[in-house]
Order: sequence, then C-alpha cells, then structure tokens
Amino acid sequence: MTTAKFDEIIHPSTRLSIVALLASTDWADFSFVRDRLGMSDSALSKQFSILEDAGYVTIDRLVTNRRRRVRVCLTDEGRKAFEGHVAALQSVIAIAESVSP
Amino acid sequence: MNNEVTEAEARLALSSIEQRRQQVIAEIDVPPWYWVSVAGGWVVLGVLADYGPAWATIVGTVIFGAVHSAVAPRVLSGRHASSHLSVHSDLVSRRVPALVIGFLILMTIVTVAFALIANADGARHAAVLASVVVAALVLIGGPRLMDVVRRRAEQRLADS
Repeated sequence: MTTAKFDEIIHPSTRLSIVALLASTDWADFSFVRDRLGMSDSALSKQFSILEDAGYVTIDRLVTNRRRRVRVCLTDEGRKAFEGHVAALQSVIAIAESVSP
Repeated sequence: MNNEVTEAEARLALSSIEQRRQQVIAEIDVPPWYWVSVAGGWVVLGVLADYGPAWATIVGTVIFGAVHSAVAPRVLSGRHASSHLSVHSDLVSRRVPALVIGFLILMTIVTVAFALIANADGARHAAVLASVVVAALVLIGGPRLMDVVRRRAEQRLADS
C-alpha cells in the first residue's frame, strides 16, 4: 500500500512532469523526455542532476551504432516517492471534497 | 508542505501527471515494420501456394511461423515500438499479444475462406488473390487494432 507523502523534490511542475513521464516507462531516452516536455538540453540536464542526486533516477550513457544515447530510468526509490506524492495530492482533493458543502 | 498545497494546485498537478501518462500511452504500438513484414510474408505464401510445389508452401509456412515466433515475444507486447523508450507494463494490457495473434488467426481463416470461394468461382490464382486481399486487411487492420489497445489503456487510466 502506498503511503501518502509530499515530496518537495518532485513537486515543482517541471520535475513533476519529468518524473510522471518516467514513471510510465521502464526507461526513456533523454531526447524523448526533452521533446515531450519541450525543454532545452541544458534545462533538462539540470533537472536530471537534481533527481539523480536525490537517488530518484539513474542515467546511463550508451553508445549504439556509433551514436551516443542517454537513457534515463526511475529508480525504485523514485517510483515510491512519486506514488507517495500522487497519493498526497489525491488526499488534498479528498479532504477538500469532504469538507465542502 | 502538504498544508501549503491547495485543492486547485493538487488538481493541476494530477492533471499534468495524467497528461504525461497519455503521452506515453500514445507510444504503445508494435514496430512499423511488423505489419509490413507480416503482409509481405502473407503474399509470398500466397504466391508459393499458387506457383510453387507443395513442399515449398510447407517449408515457407514453417519458416514464416518460426520467424514470427522468434520476434513475437518482444514485438507483440506493444511496449517497444519506439527505440526511445520502453513503456511500463502497468500501462499496457497483458492481453495485447493474444489480441494480435487472435487477429492473425482470424486473417488466416479469412484467407482460406476467400481462396476457396475464389477457386470455386473459377479464379486462376485464388491463393494469390486471397493473400493480397488479406495482406491489405493486415496493413489496415493491424494499426487500427493498436488504436483500440491505446484507447483501452487511456480508459483504464481514466478509471484508475
């Protein structure tokens, strides 16, 4: 069972979008995330560094067919934090609905 | 921090999360080459049936089945259409491979039925005719089938 817990690292909208995208994948290329979120390489790299430092993502740099690829994967810890954050958001709404007339 | 988030902000955040999930659901598919290869194989088998010896048709069918069996486990999950991501298993129904195989079995039945009818009607190349028609159905129907899979995934997401 998921424990509702707000996560300050995930909550900012850009990182929330990144983690939500990664949570729906086993792994994704850097370019996939960048294109779907419409971010620049540098801005996305900065956000990935923060998530990597928190232990929420792993970043693998691969060379396939002489092309360099960066593959990003949400860690178990990151997935757990994301699910807890989603549960916390849902609880905010549930509480608001329960007190509204 | 929990107390600082309003209901409106929470709804906005959840809406953003759903939007990102839908972007990944849009990637559920089989690789584009899959349906083309199946359709091509179908026509080749039709040509062999009409113009080749019986053993060639048998060997061709066995090779077609063996190659399909080799690639199917990875390709038919619907999770690896793009080389840029692997869709998480939670988003994709486990029945997708069975759905695709069921579609191909149906196409096999249609091919045999069409060829028998065409043959009874006096068509000279009934197997080729049937295989070309069914190959077209595979090329059109395969992607439509995956549209259904994506719509079901979206529905499951909305229901969850």
